[in-house]
Amino acid sequence: MAGVPPGPDAAVPPGPAANGGTLPETGGPSGARAAAARFAPALLGLALGLLALGPALGPGFVLRYDMVFVPDPPPVGPGEGFPRAVPSDLVVALLAQAVPAQAVQKAALLGIFVLAASGAAALVPSRRLGPRLAAAAFYAWNAYLAQRLLLGQWALLLGVAGLPWAVRAAAAHAFRGGSGRSAGAVRRTGRTPGTTETPETPGALGASETWRARAAWPVRLAVALLPAAVGGFQAMLVSALAVLPVAATARGPAGHPPPAGPSGADPGEPPGVPETDRRPGEAGGRWRGGPAVRRAGGAAAVVVLLSLPWLVPALGSRAVTDPAGVRAFAARADGPFGTVGSLLTLGGIWNSDAGVPGQGTWWSAGVRLALAAVAVWGFAGTRAGRAAPYRAGLATAAAAGLGVALAGAFAPGALGGLIAWWPGFGPLRDGQLYLAPFALLQAVGLGCAVERWNSRAVAAVAAAVPVLVLPTFALGAFGRLAAVDYPDEWRRVQAIVNADPAPGALLSLPWGAHRAFGWNGHRVILDPATKMFRRRVLWNDALLVGLPGGGRLRVAPEDPATAGVDAALRAGPGAREAALARLGVRYVLTRAGDDTFRDAATVFTGPEIRLLRLDEGL
Amino acid sequence: MRVLLALAIGAILAVGASVAVVNVGSPTPEPPNRPLYNYGTR
Repeated sequence: MAGVPPGPDAAVPPGPAANGGTLPETGGPSGARAAAARFAPALLGLALGLLALGPALGPGFVLRYDMVFVPDPPPVGPGEGFPRAVPSDLVVALLAQAVPAQAVQKAALLGIFVLAASGAAALVPSRRLGPRLAAAAFYAWNAYLAQRLLLGQWALLLGVAGLPWAVRAAAAHAFRGGSGRSAGAVRRTGRTPGTTETPETPGALGASETWRARAAWPVRLAVALLPAAVGGFQAMLVSALAVLPVAATARGPAGHPPPAGPSGADPGEPPGVPETDRRPGEAGGRWRGGPAVRRAGGAAAVVVLLSLPWLVPALGSRAVTDPAGVRAFAARADGPFGTVGSLLTLGGIWNSDAGVPGQGTWWSAGVRLALAAVAVWGFAGTRAGRAAPYRAGLATAAAAGLGVALAGAFAPGALGGLIAWWPGFGPLRDGQLYLAPFALLQAVGLGCAVERWNSRAVAAVAAAVPVLVLPTFALGAFGRLAAVDYPDEWRRVQAIVNADPAPGALLSLPWGAHRAFGWNGHRVILDPATKMFRRRVLWNDALLVGLPGGGRLRVAPEDPATAGVDAALRAGPGAREAALARLGVRYVLTRAGDDTFRDAATVFTGPEIRLLRLDEGL
Repeated sequence: MRVLLALAIGAILAVGASVAVVNVGSPTPEPPNRPLYNYGTR
């Protein structure tokens, strides 16, 4: 490779994640090139993140829909409602003890792009850089990621970004499952070319190495799932959708060493060797029920363990789920090809305000549909001899996710019935979010398609195509994401309330969940008061969703405390304050011009907000 | 041949992307002030 410029199609040694960090230290010009190529997908992800976030990386907070970061967030536990921001808010609050909260936010947002791009590249069954970069670009720049980011679901995207790594970790088990071999051990021993009896056959490893290999798999899977664990329930559910089938169906070579290539492909194997041409014991292992169930069980145990931070509060909460949410959050057509076409192009999010500008045009939708077709073709056409071990599992997860998204749109009654029967099915109502495995499938498929052409020019174009077909995601989707500062009055109210040692909740008014402040460019955000204070914050978590005909759909609140506050607010003048005080309310944060509470003491009044205290004895 | 095809596709997509960027980036009337409650519209 010396003397050959590292073009986009240059063959590269597997990255650190691909070989478990067992590569020798690089040195000299060729080593530097190899190192550059190794980190190229991550650098591409960083570049795409900088391009996509643009103005959002300036000083201040990025506030849009569910993405609400506040200065000096207090480390508090989950409230009474469904634990939607658990443990993500707590992790942010703890990190904000060391660095400013806005720096934590920007690091998280950029990390999503870096993690997604590097992970998708690591899954592509190719040692060439070009196909890996194409997959990296696709997974870090697509309609799904853009729309979810514009809906502010950064915590979900943590899991989506870590999904390729989780899939990779789940599939790695297959290479050890049958014989208990350790990938690291095999790399240490190497393979004897031209023989089927290799030094790393099962008998070649000691019992301690076998034990270590089996013990290391859940640890490796847990580490790969950490971003999703931080993200919370949506991130973990999306990860589980992919990890469980991959763990169950990953087929590794029986009597064959695990892969050292970036995708799991054996680098010593010539490309395109048909499975039937292989020597006995060299081809992919047969699916076996017992080990598959054991692997899936192990993966499920890891998923459940990492889900405990939100699972325990969810099971213990009295939160309810309104089946009307199925209609409100069902996938919708955001382009000329209907709901199905939108979902195939990884769009179709329920909220029309979360669309990427210009994505609904015939041109944008058409080229993205064509790209999706090429990507699926590339994934489907991967030859069995070079198939990645996660292939069947990822295909299953993608189909299941697409099915969930379609169910909300075309069979809302069935989904609503499930939710009415058990609120635990509530997370299925926003079905489009389960397209994440399908997005990963398309990313890997695009890499596979590029690999087939074996051309530097094709690879270079393919790496740019994801941006070219959705160019308006750039620069914060042309201003839809931007950094702003909280007005000083918010900081002062936060300081007053958090300095008060007296117990009592804070009631946030107006009695609705979302705000559209002028200082935030009228972008809709979840009420920031829900995350600012050390004490319990009572807010109305009912959702009002506009319908195409001009009507509004109301999704009932999940927090059972909402009904009591609702009744207290409906009490007549004079009785209102006493009713709220009986509910344990100490502070009311409302609009500056709100004079509803005449018996309450005004603690602070600013241009926009007013803080009242319901003194004892009301 | 493959190189030419790839370059042609890339050029076409670049032109389309440029048009899309110009369309979205061109000035538009200021949107009306939104109400305080607005979760989104389907």
